[in-house]
Amino acid sequence: MTGVVVLDNGGGLIKAGHGGDLDPTTVLPNCLLRPLSSKKFLHPDPLVSPSAPSSAAAAAAAAAAAAAALDLTSAAVRRPIDRGYLINADLQRDIWAHLFANHLRVSTPSCSLLLTEPPFALPSVQRATDELVFEDFGFKSLYVADSASLVHLYEASTSPQGLVSKAQCSLVVDCGFSFTHTVPVFQNFTLNYGVKRIDLGGKALTNYLKELVSYRSINVMDESFLMDDVKEKLCFVSLDVDRDLQLARKPGQDNVFRCTYVLPDGITHTKGFVKDPEAAWRYLNSTDESHLTSGGTIIDVEKPESAEDRKRIDLTKNEFDLTNERFLVPEMIFRPADLGMNQAGLAECIVRAINSCHPHLHPVLYESIILTGGSTLFPRFAERLERELRPLVPDYYQVKITTQQDPILGVWRGGSLLASSPDFEAMCVTKADYEELGSARCRRRFLR
Amino acid sequence: MEDESSNPLRRMSSRTRKVAPKMVAALASSDNRTQAMLARLEALENDNAGTEVGDLNDDDEASLDDDDDDGYMHKKQSKSTRRKTRQAKALENARKAPRTFFELLHEANLESLPPHIPSYLRAAVGPPSSTSRRHFCTVCGFTATYTCVRCGMRFCSRRCQNIHNDTRCLKFVA
Repeated sequence: MTGVVVLDNGGGLIKAGHGGDLDPTTVLPNCLLRPLSSKKFLHPDPLVSPSAPSSAAAAAAAAAAAAAALDLTSAAVRRPIDRGYLINADLQRDIWAHLFANHLRVSTPSCSLLLTEPPFALPSVQRATDELVFEDFGFKSLYVADSASLVHLYEASTSPQGLVSKAQCSLVVDCGFSFTHTVPVFQNFTLNYGVKRIDLGGKALTNYLKELVSYRSINVMDESFLMDDVKEKLCFVSLDVDRDLQLARKPGQDNVFRCTYVLPDGITHTKGFVKDPEAAWRYLNSTDESHLTSGGTIIDVEKPESAEDRKRIDLTKNEFDLTNERFLVPEMIFRPADLGMNQAGLAECIVRAINSCHPHLHPVLYESIILTGGSTLFPRFAERLERELRPLVPDYYQVKITTQQDPILGVWRGGSLLASSPDFEAMCVTKADYEELGSARCRRRFLR
Repeated sequence: MEDESSNPLRRMSSRTRKVAPKMVAALASSDNRTQAMLARLEALENDNAGTEVGDLNDDDEASLDDDDDDGYMHKKQSKSTRRKTRQAKALENARKAPRTFFELLHEANLESLPPHIPSYLRAAVGPPSSTSRRHFCTVCGFTATYTCVRCGMRFCSRRCQNIHNDTRCLKFVA
């Protein structure tokens, strides 16, 4: 054990583990919850518990966790992070204390900390973070990294022959929970004059989906976690919005986008699920062809089943249908203007970020776009981005978009690599430095 | 039965007629429409829909109960020196409450930085190059060709217009 705690403190999920490991020890929501059954705010269950290597054991552990899991129906949430930045240090202290004591099981004074922070954190936010790290937890030393350079580091290390590692230069598109950043990275340093931000992330998308479903079918305004699940399971990025809107208009079984999500009833299942997962994903096959010829066969297979299902709908009323919402929600990242935001879409954001860098970097940056962050997990995200980007880029440049193996953990893995490098300790600010110099002057060490 | 079914309808229609003139006057100006839109965008960043204020208050009380032992001692000591007014209490609560990101942003006074220094404000991507905006029907989600003359929301057909008028027109909050 290297004694370095690597903490990717995201607005949605905390990814935490020991430096040098392959994967984080634990991934847990960065919030406190108050389910209906409780009067106090509780710590959420981790998504990744210290997992057993074999899949059977992991499945058993997951089943056990599901049985013991909190019922998140209508749970109230408190988050320490608002719009990507740490604003509630007291709450974060609670969450971290729980994390260090129960999940990582480390004693903080004997550890160093590698912490991620979004670009352009306000001085007051930085001060609060430093106080938290050194005064409340007493870490030996601290290194504050920005997530983009960690992603770059990780990508460069996974393919030593690739362009990213040869040119030491990449454009990281981090589409996370709170917002979306496009960040040019050069020689492992973020070019902060090139950073561009769209104020849309997974949280806004979930809330938008909530709004749509609540207006059109069932009031789910309180069910953040449920709708997160719906979004993750059912939303996708459309390659041709106009055509898909036409398709989504079709009635009944002709409509390849229609799918049903069953809400938890609190008795037999406490988590919602997609009623017919295969049917939910059939658009992936059928829309590749110009006409829905393959749709006909599917109808025959499903008809008896759906007749039964129809009856069930009337009896219980605990499910809702989604059609065009499935692709109109992620669509907002590409066209925030459609929501009424006065901001450019992701493709244009990338072009602007690259244009603010030196012209010599342009060809390399266009060829090494790395997608990271949980919101890039929508199916066909990269494909759509390439289609939008290509017309905006001069034709003598190549456009190449790399997706990460696990976009949620990409930043953490980069941090783990950095923490295990031999000169990591030299880059840190120690507690003694902090006590002598204070927050602001220590921060200059991280060159931003 | 008939009375019951017709009464709420009549009441509803009378209500809209009563409210409508003022609301129409207010919402006809584009200022208020943009304000409503901004409020909606703001709502997209909320954690708990609607109930946020209530929840926070509840929690404040709960946390006071939790650490009341030492908190109470302090209060007892300070009671002799200073009388605790309601206003003072409110001020103290405001001080203790976590501030929102925009308060912190305002405090940081980033506008005063010289223009060549990149900051949070300058990192925003800025307006899109093309002003064309696609409009989706607020009722069903398809491409919307019509605009509600009273509130400016979009709909695609007569059917959706009726639903819009019955449920959402001039309400703005879904």
